[in-house]
Amino acid sequence: MLFVGIAIGLIVGALLSHQFFTRRGANKANSESIEFSEELSPSNTEIHDAELNAVLNAIPLGVVVTDEQGNVVLGNYIAAGVGILRHIDVLVDEATERIIKKSRATGSVVRETLELFGPPPRTVVIEAMPLEGDKSIAIIEDISERTRIDAVRTDFVANISHELKTPVGALSILADTIRDEDDLKVIHRLSSKMVKESNRMAKTIDDLLELSRIELDGSVIPEPVSIFSVVAESIDRMAYFAAQAGIGIVSQLPEDDCVVKGDRLQLVSAVSNLIDNAVKYSEKGDKVTVRVSPLEETVDVSVSDEGIGIPQSDIDRIFERFYRVDRARSRGTGGTGLGLSIVRHVMNNHGGSVNVTSQEGEGSTFVLTLLRPSGNTAVNNI
Amino acid sequence: MEELRKSFHHELDEVRLSLARLAASVIEAIPRATNVLLSGDLEGAEYLILADDEIDSRSIALEDRCYQLLALQAPVAGELRQLISILKMVGEIERSADLTVNIAKAARRIYGHSLDPKLRGIITKMGEQAQQLFTSALQSFEENDVAIAGAIDDMDSYLDSLQRQFVQAIFESHAAGSIDLQVAIQLAVVARFYERIGDHAVNIGERVLFIVSGWRPENKGAARHDAKTAYDDTYGIPLPHSDNTEG
Repeated sequence: MLFVGIAIGLIVGALLSHQFFTRRGANKANSESIEFSEELSPSNTEIHDAELNAVLNAIPLGVVVTDEQGNVVLGNYIAAGVGILRHIDVLVDEATERIIKKSRATGSVVRETLELFGPPPRTVVIEAMPLEGDKSIAIIEDISERTRIDAVRTDFVANISHELKTPVGALSILADTIRDEDDLKVIHRLSSKMVKESNRMAKTIDDLLELSRIELDGSVIPEPVSIFSVVAESIDRMAYFAAQAGIGIVSQLPEDDCVVKGDRLQLVSAVSNLIDNAVKYSEKGDKVTVRVSPLEETVDVSVSDEGIGIPQSDIDRIFERFYRVDRARSRGTGGTGLGLSIVRHVMNNHGGSVNVTSQEGEGSTFVLTLLRPSGNTAVNNI
Repeated sequence: MEELRKSFHHELDEVRLSLARLAASVIEAIPRATNVLLSGDLEGAEYLILADDEIDSRSIALEDRCYQLLALQAPVAGELRQLISILKMVGEIERSADLTVNIAKAARRIYGHSLDPKLRGIITKMGEQAQQLFTSALQSFEENDVAIAGAIDDMDSYLDSLQRQFVQAIFESHAAGSIDLQVAIQLAVVARFYERIGDHAVNIGERVLFIVSGWRPENKGAARHDAKTAYDDTYGIPLPHSDNTEG
């Protein structure tokens, strides 16, 4: 809202001074005696149309000024819809016109929020108010990012309490039942459930600790790490689980090893988390492929599966802490909901990135992009 | 002369803008419908069904405006083609909006049934492709771009092949017992809805072609028919079903 305030102030100020200066110019032409206005004005520079346009275009908001007939007399790039999806441009334009009309009819400020599906989804706030001299102004603000962050925050609070409270609740109920139980068989069954729940909770806490450790480790002390060894160790870690699930892990490596600079443990953690997920969401008999592709300045490590894939509507959110596409399924697979957050943080620490492409029913591919130290391409060079 | 027609040109621009806005509403509705179907969002279904009333009302208003302009301004040549094409395109867009409602209603009917990932994947693709087709149709109309209009037809054949793939996947899922017959039939109908949305986008593209060049794809078939009937031995007695309106 601060932005809107500043913008309105700027524009109204600019418009008024624009009018003022133009009038002064006109008066000057008529008589030479209006010297005092020189002192009234803050500076001698006048704002020309071109400058006004430049000022408007520098504002990260859409601004539209219309005359009494509703024709646009002033507008900036964002209001013209540059950079948003075509049909969203059209819809925002339509809403702006409607809201300006409404504000003119009521003579007051009208504010509406437009929720558009996209994709990607967009939330746009449009505020219109009448100006002096039968003009109207509309401010268009794209708050999609803010809305998204709000959703992430509220979901996180809800999810973390769920993840921690569920096992605690189960433990206390189980303990309560055991207290009054004499049947040894039942005690056995209940206590093994207690072990399972406490293991689950321990794993969540472990992952949380690892995540916060990686988060704190913002500055990785870079040392040369061989990608081959990272991939080999990650596959090694997961080989047992994969074999149990009947899933094969295949690695496709280039001829020469690649070297990146970073923290070996963190990189292993990232790659093995991806393999872990790939195995979890595959069916028996499927194949998980780990591929290393050296490029000019980067190395791509990709992990592909032939599993169930990720729904399009969830794909932007899977890197959030505790975000789950399907709660029922992920409880069964025993994940903590933190794996991909760990991957993303490791990549951030290394100045790299993680990308995902997925098609439901066909599988997912996660690609880690790591920077190569310039000049060093093979292990022997170190 | 130019001064006299000024208000007409202004009105023609407004009619074009209204049509573009109508199309944009449909482009917005397509992914919403897909999401309703995939996530079983009953509230979203309700929203789509209600939103269609607004599209209907705007379509009628736009249609009436076109009639008025035709009657009062008696446009000729390119402007006449434009108004008549817009009249036809209103119908295509309005029908497409109805189809998104149909998808929402189908989603209500299969509510509670889970779909396997392969089916969900193809539904996602069909929704994206239908939206893409409509976006291209809007773009070709806004910019009078014949090249884009021509490309829509090719893009539609991909949507058609997705529909066939989807029907195949429905058979497989049904055979594997993961969906029951009722859901299978609803899904097959949904695939048809997406495919029809694509067809309407193709029709809009053809109309853009007509606005710009005066040519319709049906002209080909009509010419064939005319060539045939020119040498016929029926002595001018029309054959049954010999209407030449469709290609």
